Amino acid sequence: MSDRFKGKSGFELAMPALRRRDFLSLSAAGIAASVGFGARAQSGTAVPPPPKAPKGQVVIGLSQEPKSFNPLMPGVEVDEVVWTSVFSSLWMAAPDGTLVPDLAVAVPSEENGGISEGGLAWTVKLREGVVWHDGAPFTAEDVKYSLELIMAPGFKSRTRVGHELVRDIVVKGPHEISWRMERAFAPYLAQLANTQIVPKHILSKAEDPNTAAFNGSPIGTGPFRWSERRPGDSITFVANERYHGDGPYLEGVVLKYIPDMTALYAQFRTGQVDFVPISGIPANYYEEATKLSGRKVAVAPSGNIEVIMPNLEHPAFTEKAVRQALYASMNKEAIVDALYYGVPKPTESYSPRESWAFNPNLPKHEYSIDKANKILDEAGWKRAGRGIREKNGKRLEFALSTTTGNALREQCQQLMMQDWQQIGVSIKINNMPGAVIWGDFYVRSQFECLLVGTAFRTGVDPDPAPRFASDAIPVKGGSGGNYMQWVNAEADKLMKEGQATFNQERRKEIYFKVQEIVREELPILPIFQYAPLEGIKDGLIGYQPNINQRQNAWNLGSWYWAR
Amino acid sequence: MSVVTPTSPQAVASSPRSRWNSPAIRRFRRHKLAVFGAATITLMVVACVFGPMLLPYNDTYIDIRQRFAPPFSGSHILGTDPLGRDILARLLMAGRISLSVGFSAMAVSIAIGICVGVIAGFYQGVVGAALMRFVDAMLCFPSIFLLLAISALIEPSVPSIVLLIAMTSWMEVARVVEAQIRSLRTRDFAVAAVSMGASNTRIMFRELLPNAIAPIVVAATLNVAHAILAESYISFLGYGIQPPTPSWGNMLEGAQSYLTSAPWLAILPGAAITLAVTSFNFIGDGLRDALDPRLDQR
Amino acid sequence: MSGFLIRRLLQAVVLLFIVSMIGFAILHLAPGGPLSQFAASGDMTQADLDRLSAQLGLDRPLPVQYVEWLWRLLGGDWGVSYRDQQPVLRIIAAHIGPTMELMLSSTLLAMLLGAWIGILGAIKRYSLFDSLATIGAMIALSIPTFWFGLVIIYVFSVGLGWLPAGNRYTVGDGSFLNRLHHLIGPCIVLALVSTAVWSRYMRSSMLEVINQDYIRTARAKGLSERYILVRHALRNALLPMITITGLQVPTLLSGALVTETVFTWPGMGRLFLDSISYRDYPTIMGILMLTAIMVLLGSLIADVLYGVADPRIERNGQ
Repeated sequence: MSDRFKGKSGFELAMPALRRRDFLSLSAAGIAASVGFGARAQSGTAVPPPPKAPKGQVVIGLSQEPKSFNPLMPGVEVDEVVWTSVFSSLWMAAPDGTLVPDLAVAVPSEENGGISEGGLAWTVKLREGVVWHDGAPFTAEDVKYSLELIMAPGFKSRTRVGHELVRDIVVKGPHEISWRMERAFAPYLAQLANTQIVPKHILSKAEDPNTAAFNGSPIGTGPFRWSERRPGDSITFVANERYHGDGPYLEGVVLKYIPDMTALYAQFRTGQVDFVPISGIPANYYEEATKLSGRKVAVAPSGNIEVIMPNLEHPAFTEKAVRQALYASMNKEAIVDALYYGVPKPTESYSPRESWAFNPNLPKHEYSIDKANKILDEAGWKRAGRGIREKNGKRLEFALSTTTGNALREQCQQLMMQDWQQIGVSIKINNMPGAVIWGDFYVRSQFECLLVGTAFRTGVDPDPAPRFASDAIPVKGGSGGNYMQWVNAEADKLMKEGQATFNQERRKEIYFKVQEIVREELPILPIFQYAPLEGIKDGLIGYQPNINQRQNAWNLGSWYWAR
Repeated sequence: MSVVTPTSPQAVASSPRSRWNSPAIRRFRRHKLAVFGAATITLMVVACVFGPMLLPYNDTYIDIRQRFAPPFSGSHILGTDPLGRDILARLLMAGRISLSVGFSAMAVSIAIGICVGVIAGFYQGVVGAALMRFVDAMLCFPSIFLLLAISALIEPSVPSIVLLIAMTSWMEVARVVEAQIRSLRTRDFAVAAVSMGASNTRIMFRELLPNAIAPIVVAATLNVAHAILAESYISFLGYGIQPPTPSWGNMLEGAQSYLTSAPWLAILPGAAITLAVTSFNFIGDGLRDALDPRLDQR
Repeated sequence: MSGFLIRRLLQAVVLLFIVSMIGFAILHLAPGGPLSQFAASGDMTQADLDRLSAQLGLDRPLPVQYVEWLWRLLGGDWGVSYRDQQPVLRIIAAHIGPTMELMLSSTLLAMLLGAWIGILGAIKRYSLFDSLATIGAMIALSIPTFWFGLVIIYVFSVGLGWLPAGNRYTVGDGSFLNRLHHLIGPCIVLALVSTAVWSRYMRSSMLEVINQDYIRTARAKGLSERYILVRHALRNALLPMITITGLQVPTLLSGALVTETVFTWPGMGRLFLDSISYRDYPTIMGILMLTAIMVLLGSLIADVLYGVADPRIERNGQ
């Protein structure tokens, strides 16, 4: 943890909540949940208390523009900055992965009776006295409406994973709701943590929820109220004085869109921007940024893993030996240290290091051209014309693709290319614009090999089934994201079991095993876990990187300025 | 490039004409900027063709320990890029690509432009009108918008970039050729050819076209300049020629983020582009003066 | 006059129709699509993506999509952005202000600077200044706009610290002076090409006027050079110049897109680039149609003004 928050003085001072969490997680992980959000240390490092009334303003610099404001509709990471600030979900995922009640009174579990009949019956009690930003009371009807809207035929909802299993939603009272599940599906808890509740009294009146005016000026129950949007420029929130949770302590928040990361960093340096999340500070400014006075730079882990994704149906990759040789001859160290300035950490797993399901005991990668050559020699790949290996008349060659215009990735690609040429593999670079590469080329498995940064989980649940299960191959009629077309019976069986059990210890065992299999079989060659450099101004308190959220302004309501 | 450039001093002596001492060539030679342009391009071509053989570094050799070496600081004369590759070697190899893209795109665009222009100018009527409305429609797109929209269609490679640029730069040529053919068509020699029973294709391409060659040559030169610029624009916006093949344009891609720490990454390729494009424009300008029929008649 | 106008307008409508077909075909035939952005992040399943594709109507035959889009457009509905969930016209309206600000200010700068250089060049024909201006204009037309922008940023922002490196204003300070300060860099960059064009046209049109009989007469009458220049020559030289501005619209729009990218200017160029990368078809089509309309209007105005400026011009079909 110490190297994650290298600030000017080496350690963070203004992140007491995190330290407290670390302390707590040492004693008992379960207690952490009861501490709730925005928990601030009362002792230890001298952190000033939050102000009595909302005070001050925070400018958040974003290199992409948030544009999608209905949290149930398709959106990208920057949009979630809006969703988590303006809306609330039933419960939220804390940095350590525990779920903390928000609109619900408690997170349902088999222990507290909220989940019964082996995961088929769910009951959720809701917090009383919560009001929407327009003053209307929040009730169970809103939850029912939200869950039904997601499944409404014409509605362009973001994802129906989990929601499609929900049956017979019953409002048992203004603050109690229950439903049945078609089958037990443990990741649904985490899925609901990322499902914000929308107001029935507004959206149900709209002619078409897809194009409702609400989508341009959202109304939620979150810590901040929507104030103004200047398209192409900025979005402003103001404090929701009637917020049901901790905070807000800030009078206002400005989301400023600065499309160029260098320009964004320049404004952070000069102090016009207080916080730079998501894409963050370009790695080549890391050195310089850590020396800035009055600024801190956090290496914020992300759930995305940079991997080489081979298409296992391509003749070059069907054989495990080839994948192992490619992995062995990949200079991960040079990639991370030189190109990424040592900011992200090399990884062996598809799971983020901070996840409770992360297996730290996987075999360590060793960069060795000799070993790679030996593996290929033994597997019967012989050197032929121009030093390219062949076996059974097939040349060991493939095209490596990634998004155009991503300078670091292109550099990484060329570095790997040079290594792989040494083991007799012929590589062609075939890059495409994002909209092309992530289209049919990706989802219909038309690629040969990709360099991609992506997440291997279900929402924020560690279940990797959508990415690894053999029934998740779209090109073979599956519905998931197993684009490399990996088929492994043992992993399939384990992942099925992982979905059906609510026992975290048991699930942990299962996912450890899955990671071992993936590390051995290498359906993906893991390079490193993304760790954007997020910049934050000194004196801004409350920042907590959270691997279980898709962005780190998730708890904006409990942020404040030290005086 | 529809700039009206003033003609050079009209001191054109009416001396006896031999083929290689024609007034046109003399006029071109007297156009100092054009001569400068021609010399620069010749030099660039020679350097790009033979230069890489004389250098100790390969343009794609990666040496990560040597990254970001500034120019004139060590064995790398013009420094290195973020992967430690020699910039001079890359500039010269990139020159090969960029200049070939420029020439090939010019050739393709001129070919398309001539075909469309000749047909539209010769047949006029419905065919001509339809073709010219299509030309007008294509010209309604600001060039970058069109380049970007079409670049979405293709997988970026050298041939496809050539095609892309050609597809967006043939319209001016078509217009020029169409206007020329339309006016030439009514001249005596064309009428005579028709009365002698020559085929339409023959009249179009053997009789009319050679007489319209002067403006085509000028347009061709300017199109090379345009193509080199266009290549740099699409590369800068991330839709250009793919690495590791260097081009002047893709060497600039991403250079903006190193502007404070390694400005040479942005300055050098840009200077090369500017020099090449300026030279072609000078040549085009000189050619325009040299081939101007009004000057010829004096 | 009105007959001419009606004919030109009809032509413009036909052109717009062709433009829309070309644009629509190019966009929709291109590989990839608006759902790619979600596929990349990995938290939407293929079932979700397929459902969204059907909901957006992207699974229908292209001609059907085109006819429907065109039909709506004729009814004044420009469609709803895939990315924004907002009507396209509203999105464009929100972005056009900054672009106009940039285009108008740089046109003004180019006019003043270009006219000055052109006039001086014409009066002092073949002087050192004239030669330098000629060479300068040629170079200006050859520099890649974005590279010139980078050089300006490197010299004036990174090196000297005089100008901001981008953006339209400082966060928290939207004062007029602050905006003006931010406008200088992009304005100069965008004005470069137009200044070169203006100065060349101005020079040749001045030369033409200066050699005309009435100027010679004025000179013979002993009027002062300055008076002749302002009173007769400039006025007559300026009129045809105005038409140039109309014909410059496409160049200016292209330049604006690139300049906005370099200086992170929140205008239509950025919107177009963003929309291209998201494959936000309705927004891209909207911008393409709007720029086509602007280009056509520009040339129409140029033609009309040309007629006003010089009534001798006869109007034939073209």
